[in-house]
Amino acid sequence: MPGRGRCPDCGSTELVEDSHYSQSQLVCSDCGCVVTEGVLTTTFSDEGNLREVTYSRSTGENEQISRSQQRGLRRVRDLCRVLQLPPTFEDTAVAYYQQAYRHSGIRAARLQKKEVLVGCCVLITCRQHNWPLTMGAICTLLYADLDVFSSIYMQIVKLLGLDVPSLCLAELVKTYCSSFKLFQASPSVPAKYVEDKEKMLSRTLQLVELANETWLVTGRHPLPVITAATFLAWQSLQPADRLSCSLARFCKLANVDLPYPASSRLQELLAVLLRMAEQLAWLRVLRLDKRSVVKHIGDLLQHRHSLVRLAFRDGTAEVETRGKEPPAWGQGQREGEVGNNSLGLPQGKRPASPALLLPPCMLKPPKRICPAPPVSTVTGDENISDSEIEQYLRTPQEVRDFQRAQAARQAATSVPNPP
Amino acid sequence: MASAPRPERDLGLLAGCLPPYPPPPTTVGLLSMEQQETYLELYLDQCAAQDDLAPPRSPLFNPVVPYDMYILNASNPDTAFNSNPEVKETSGDFSSVDLSFLPDEVTQENKDQPVISSRHETEESSESQSPQSRLPSPSEQDIGLGLNSSSLSNSHSQLHPGDTDSVRPSPEKPNSDSLSLAPITPMTPMTPVSECCGIVPQLQNIVSTVNLACKLDLKKIALHAKNAEYNPKRFAAVIMRIREPRTTALIFSSGKMVCTGAKSEEQSRLAARKYARVVQKLGFPARFLDFKIQNMVGSCDVRFPIRLEGLVLTHQQFSSYEPELFPGLIYRMVKPRIVLLIFVSGKVVLTGAKERSEIYEAFENIYPILKGFKKA
Repeated sequence: MPGRGRCPDCGSTELVEDSHYSQSQLVCSDCGCVVTEGVLTTTFSDEGNLREVTYSRSTGENEQISRSQQRGLRRVRDLCRVLQLPPTFEDTAVAYYQQAYRHSGIRAARLQKKEVLVGCCVLITCRQHNWPLTMGAICTLLYADLDVFSSIYMQIVKLLGLDVPSLCLAELVKTYCSSFKLFQASPSVPAKYVEDKEKMLSRTLQLVELANETWLVTGRHPLPVITAATFLAWQSLQPADRLSCSLARFCKLANVDLPYPASSRLQELLAVLLRMAEQLAWLRVLRLDKRSVVKHIGDLLQHRHSLVRLAFRDGTAEVETRGKEPPAWGQGQREGEVGNNSLGLPQGKRPASPALLLPPCMLKPPKRICPAPPVSTVTGDENISDSEIEQYLRTPQEVRDFQRAQAARQAATSVPNPP
Repeated sequence: MASAPRPERDLGLLAGCLPPYPPPPTTVGLLSMEQQETYLELYLDQCAAQDDLAPPRSPLFNPVVPYDMYILNASNPDTAFNSNPEVKETSGDFSSVDLSFLPDEVTQENKDQPVISSRHETEESSESQSPQSRLPSPSEQDIGLGLNSSSLSNSHSQLHPGDTDSVRPSPEKPNSDSLSLAPITPMTPMTPVSECCGIVPQLQNIVSTVNLACKLDLKKIALHAKNAEYNPKRFAAVIMRIREPRTTALIFSSGKMVCTGAKSEEQSRLAARKYARVVQKLGFPARFLDFKIQNMVGSCDVRFPIRLEGLVLTHQQFSSYEPELFPGLIYRMVKPRIVLLIFVSGKVVLTGAKERSEIYEAFENIYPILKGFKKA
């Protein structure tokens, strides 16, 4: 029949549909060549001859969703359900996954990468809706390495050109604090350790805000700061009973993992609180230390804004002038305050001069002083002396010794397999 | 080749820096029409610029003239000074300007000599550095220019064939001359001017590649060289180290080599040459082709803390700040194409540059942005 293609052998257009033992065949009426035979065809050019081709070589792949992509989309939906996310999140995450899948680099990626991609899409969706989901949480759920997750996350954000907002700290505090199992008495949690959720949440939030203001949050993982803040908040609400409990024990009975940096964040936070306490007259007399200051956290938080302003001077100006400013001005300012104090403090007692408000990494002394590199006068075209090169070459004797040593080592490693 | 210079601006500045102008050369008869016109231009510019004596902005006093001329001289030493008119016409706008009328002090003692490339070895290409950036071996180039200027100032428009000999060997014998001129300052300032409170990023690492153009037997290299390590199961290259300049090289069996760890472009080149020499001494016919700087890393300290959360909010399209992954903010600057790592302590790391000027430019761009985030 005309218009049905040409015979590959003789080129004639006279192809006839014939059936041979109930198998449909296209046969050339001139030379008798069988053009198609049932569904057993393998070449792409067959499609040009109106013959059937395998699925992977047809264009159907672009129109339908591949099995791998279907699996990925199912994983996205499952992950959203496990995390109990609102239903709208699911659709957004699925859309991101499909968008990512259109790129050939993602389509050809390993299964492990596709699995992590599922987590990335869910994470991006949550971030855009200010849902506080940490990368650590997703990595735990997916049994993925944080490094692998990190590289794929950065890649996909760049590839899709997405605007991902930062983790919302306030929301994270609420979610994380709620996960502490301290709000009801249980066999592991004695009555004096049980705390009211609202009170703890509000105090933790205030402490985290204080940490943010005093440079303890920038550049650090947010979670350990919140753990330390939660611990301090919990302790300060009933200090008499709870001061004896350590951070590690607290996390254990609250059934929450203790992140490693939390203890150093705790020390930093206590140091800030101590500095603030120095500015309150009735606390100055008590000569607080890191344990006793916990009892007064409530007061300190109540006046935290003004106390921070008083306790810390602008670190930036100080660093720039590098001590040109006399530190005495801070004390001069305090004179009036001391004079008005009804307690009548002795002359020597006055608040400490304001400390520098700087991130802890800037307050620590440098580990080693890096000298300015000497100005080099190398031109790149100097003569290279032979002796300088010779020092890097082995003498023939050394070569022989080295070869002998290598051979001996080979022999030694291959010996332990006697026949 | 050098890009075509801008004659008007350079002429004006050139004129502005010069002492009172002698009358145009009298040997007008020997000059072609274009040459006469350029002399006239110069003279008139000089007169006009007498009033506003521009401060000798050294970096800009860089008429690319001699650069062009000397490139041609270097590559065609035979034709250079004998076929004067052809040389001058073919090498750009400024090539027809003869600096012979300049008094000796200006050309020889002026620190801001134009850039020349004495590189007439084809292997050592100057592709990695544009003519406007700092070229290596300033001393020999200065000496070359000095000699040429002196020879030029002796004759007016026509350079004696005898000078060719004195000029030609000069780029090849850098240390033989007594003239010691200050290093070259190119068109764009190499060091940033005081807008950034004098903070200059320090180069920490230079990565460069070179082609030794011969197949290498890595086992033999590892056997005969003391400073080489070769573990084919781990990595398919020999890792070689030298002490001065302190660098590491990866030498592949195809003859390609990567040199890392140098603190400046010249050091990187010297180190690469030393590695090539070692390979040569081991019996391979190593050459030194296509030396190219692939990456430069610099760092500096702005000395005040930076609110990274604020920076990522205002510069969202360029910044990426994920404290869960990395404590620093990754800022991808578009022009120049440099990646900056900005930390809360005020330390900044700049990477991805192919030229030193890109690092300086990137820091100049980021400093005002960072200053905006100084206060809490």
